[in-house]
Amino acid sequence: MSTAVANPSSSTPPAARAGASNAMSKPGADVALIVSNVYKTYRLGRVDVPVLRGVDLTVRQSEFVAILGASGSGKSTLLHLIGGLDRPDKPKAKSAPPTPKPNIAYQGRDITGMSARTLDRYRAQDAGFVFQFYHLLPELSVLQNVVIAGMVRWGWAYSARASQCKKQAAELLDHVGLSHRLRHKPTELSGGERQRVAIARALINQPSLLLADEPTGNLDRATGDTILDMILKIRRERNLTMLVVTHDEQTAARADRVVRLTDGKVASS
Amino acid sequence: MPLLASVAVILCTAMVLIVWSVMGGFLNMLIGSGRTMTGDVIITWPNAGFAYYDELIADLKKEPLVEAAAPMIETFGLIALPDGRKETVTVRGIIGPEFAKVSKYNDILHWKPIKEPMPKDEFREDPRLGNIDRLSWSEIYDNGLNLRVKDKSGEYKPAMVMGIEASGFNYRTPEGFYQPATRRQAMPDGTFKLIDMFLPRDGKILLSLAPLDESGRVVEMVSRNFPIANEFQSGVYEVDERVVLIPLDVAQEMLHLHAAKRIPKANPAKESASVGPTVLPDPNQPETFPDIPSVANLIDDPARATHVLIRGKGDMESTEQAIALRKRCEAVYAAFAERHAHHVPAKESIRILTWEEQNETMIGAVKTETALLLVLFMIISLVAVFLILAIFWSMVAEKTKDIGVLRAVGASGAGVAGLWVMYGLAIGLVGSALGMVLAFTIVHNINPIHEWLGMKLGIVVWNPKVYYFTIIPNKVQLDTAIIVFVFGVLSSAIGALVPAVRAALMHPVRALRFE
Repeated sequence: MSTAVANPSSSTPPAARAGASNAMSKPGADVALIVSNVYKTYRLGRVDVPVLRGVDLTVRQSEFVAILGASGSGKSTLLHLIGGLDRPDKPKAKSAPPTPKPNIAYQGRDITGMSARTLDRYRAQDAGFVFQFYHLLPELSVLQNVVIAGMVRWGWAYSARASQCKKQAAELLDHVGLSHRLRHKPTELSGGERQRVAIARALINQPSLLLADEPTGNLDRATGDTILDMILKIRRERNLTMLVVTHDEQTAARADRVVRLTDGKVASS
Repeated sequence: MPLLASVAVILCTAMVLIVWSVMGGFLNMLIGSGRTMTGDVIITWPNAGFAYYDELIADLKKEPLVEAAAPMIETFGLIALPDGRKETVTVRGIIGPEFAKVSKYNDILHWKPIKEPMPKDEFREDPRLGNIDRLSWSEIYDNGLNLRVKDKSGEYKPAMVMGIEASGFNYRTPEGFYQPATRRQAMPDGTFKLIDMFLPRDGKILLSLAPLDESGRVVEMVSRNFPIANEFQSGVYEVDERVVLIPLDVAQEMLHLHAAKRIPKANPAKESASVGPTVLPDPNQPETFPDIPSVANLIDDPARATHVLIRGKGDMESTEQAIALRKRCEAVYAAFAERHAHHVPAKESIRILTWEEQNETMIGAVKTETALLLVLFMIISLVAVFLILAIFWSMVAEKTKDIGVLRAVGASGAGVAGLWVMYGLAIGLVGSALGMVLAFTIVHNINPIHEWLGMKLGIVVWNPKVYYFTIIPNKVQLDTAIIVFVFGVLSSAIGALVPAVRAALMHPVRALRFE
């Protein structure tokens, strides 16, 4: 298992970083996420392409970890596995030496062993996703794009909470500075505005884990910085555990800790 | 794409409902037409007729299920029209007021006073709205009801009522009313005078009937001139074109079915005794002649009718009601036949049938045709299911990334599939509802549309000679509409089901990475 070390280039105050370092040296009560022995292989045609080759990672409660790596190093795959969008490879019993059992546990719950239904609930309630390309639904308005995550979470019970959900979505959008854009369609927004909508959508169900895949990758530097500031502000306000995948050193520099992935493994952290 | 899917559903549901309404309506009209002209149950002994029918009618009228019963004679005949045409017709001898109780004779008499014009007759051109020379519409109507006309001496004479299409002297206007034809008559001064061929005023028709003897041979053709009292429009084209009505007593007389004194039949035993070698008369003995019976020895031969028409109480809309009535009539006839054994047909021989049973072959053929058409159109509608499937399939492909987003925010595979099925249902609901509206509009206006097609493009789909009725059924049954509506909604949901499963099985990460 890799040991978490505060990134020296992080903007986090040294005291906080020291605290984080101390916390990580004693994994236990304040460990939010444990990733161990995670392998993932994709099949491209007839060829098996190993993406993750045994990732071990531990993230503390409310920690901001940046996952840095070159293109194809498995950053996004790792994020998807942590977010329950995908499952790690099962251990190969016949391999020598035998592959150990993979484990991804969030707040003590084993994600890899969860049923599909529980995993859906985990994605809806515990983890919020922010994507590089925003992934907003083009037919829906800004408000509806945020509310839809609430609809998904509550299912049939949504109708009883519709007004509360809409109010909450409007507040969140107000918080990210989009109160004047509620009825607009995503196509009428700038890239930065779209990402702010995506952030609001990720937060509507009040998750404790925020997973962002290159959240500033599609934005210019200034806008990207603004978005990152906003994410960090919200993270502080909500005490979120946050994993941000990036290939941008400057973004990574603002994290509590940086985990570098090389060839499907954690090279340094 | 959703619009395309909706249009497919609209067209399919509308198509099925139109076909079902028109063909189903045709079937209902066919079954219902029995009530217009012949009542609910018919007791028949064709051509020869049966005696004591008045007694049978009196017995039938005592039955609680029976509303009315009336005698009728039906035979074939030949009419000579004023323009020289000779046409074969079905001749029915009736007692007007009695016949009106078992049929809708009162309603189908065409020439009568009307106060309001027909819906399309904007300019009030229907001749029945105006006056008529030398007669009144009320008089003509009354003449029709009683099958009589007053001659010049003021005496009533038996008259004929013809089907409105039988003479060929009436033409149906696009506005829906009948107009008597006119002909030009050359005048001595070289001008022409227009004469209308309105038969109930001065028309006369020569009718020839063929009375039969007991062995079924035609005795001699009997011809008689009939003034025309009125014309009827039953709505059944074949009846309107082929049937003429005359008073029952006149028909009985012409066909030798009236009450009369007859020579009793020879004793069969005596006849059989005479069978043997022919014995030549002895030339030395005086010539002998067969016995001529005295008047005192003649027997009464009662009048006969070929049909007794029975109308049941209540609406009699169901086949079961008609069958129950028929069974009751069979019981009454059985008792009647027992009383008059050897003088009336035995209960096993007589034909007692409901209108539907009597026309079983024709109605069965229409039922089969309706079912066949429905099956064909439903097969076509299955294409719509596949069309929706194809449209939804490509919609799912187009929305792959959105499906990934929904999965990312926690939607389950079943939830995503449910969304697509709900989408299909919504398209089905909207499409079917609009399809119903379209079908209702078309069916409701099918006759004007048909007339317009005929006028502008020369297309005549509904030929009354083929489909019996002069108007196309234009009513949509509520239960039929509900079935088609549900079918449309379910078809859309089924069409959306396969793409929905595809959406459900999509891997969230691959969906998000889909380009």
